[in-house]
Amino acid sequence: MPSSGGKKFTREEELLLQDFSRNISTKSSALFYGNALIVAALPIWLFWRIHQLDITQTQTIILFAVVTLLSTWLIAFAYRNVKFSLRHKIAQKREDAVSKEVLKKLTPVEAKKMSRKEKDERILWKKNEVADHEATTFSIFYNNTLFILIILVASFFLLYTFDASVYP
Amino acid sequence: MASLGCAFVAACLLLLVPFSSAGESCLKPTVEHQIYTTTEAVTSTDTVFLVEFDLKCSNAIKNPFLYADVSGRQLPVSRSGDNLYQVSWVEERKNAPAGTYTVKLFDEEGFSALRKAQRAEEDVSTVTPLTSIAFSHKGVSQGPIVSSELLAVVLSGLLWYAAYSAKQRILS
Repeated sequence: MPSSGGKKFTREEELLLQDFSRNISTKSSALFYGNALIVAALPIWLFWRIHQLDITQTQTIILFAVVTLLSTWLIAFAYRNVKFSLRHKIAQKREDAVSKEVLKKLTPVEAKKMSRKEKDERILWKKNEVADHEATTFSIFYNNTLFILIILVASFFLLYTFDASVYP
Repeated sequence: MASLGCAFVAACLLLLVPFSSAGESCLKPTVEHQIYTTTEAVTSTDTVFLVEFDLKCSNAIKNPFLYADVSGRQLPVSRSGDNLYQVSWVEERKNAPAGTYTVKLFDEEGFSALRKAQRAEEDVSTVTPLTSIAFSHKGVSQGPIVSSELLAVVLSGLLWYAAYSAKQRILS
């Protein structure tokens, strides 16, 4: 954010700040919501085919739709949080490898021409990209495993005695 | 007078006709059978045996009365259609191991001979049944040792643990 004095951040500062930002790109957002919807819809199969819940009833359909949408939103929220907690750490861990790779890709002529600052910016940009991608995918994986574990434990053990029928 | 005598004899014969077939025994009996036995222990407490068969006699006897003997136990045979019969019994699980079971079928004559032999404590195996049905019971399955629910939970738990340890490694 610009300071009250109206001083703008440099491109490097913006890139550095991006590392700690909670904002997510549209691509990440689409990935999050798409994945969250798929994972949130999985319990429908579990309750329909395994627990024999009648999904032809309007009440059940409404219930499933509401709960699935709510779960989608909550899972996407969890994706964002985990991604945020991981991105900076991943960026730190991948820094050396990324800078090596970026410098290796530069031709000798380019390397000579480019200023130190430009090289750093390029490394920073690449590092952010790598960390963002890794944090996004890992966050999806981690939350999916946790969600499925909770659903299975809840449906098979905690709520085992609950009746499958929905009473009018 | 002679014609009166003939008519009387004919009438007597006619009266005897319905009883004649009942006394006649089934010759060269052949049976086509279907068997049901309990196969799993999860939804049942005892083992049920159900034998359904279709009896055919070469002398075209219809619906003779039959009795069954299974391992020394006499059972009634119920008729469920023309020459269609059913025998069923229930055993406690420990008394119904897997193996071959034989249902001996007796007509009234054979059954009384069997009872007579039993009363006299003679060897009942000497009484020849009308026919017998042998079938194999495969025993009851207790279901898998590990239930599929538990397996699913354990697998997803392991997967989550792998993800969790990877996350801890990143955060360390």
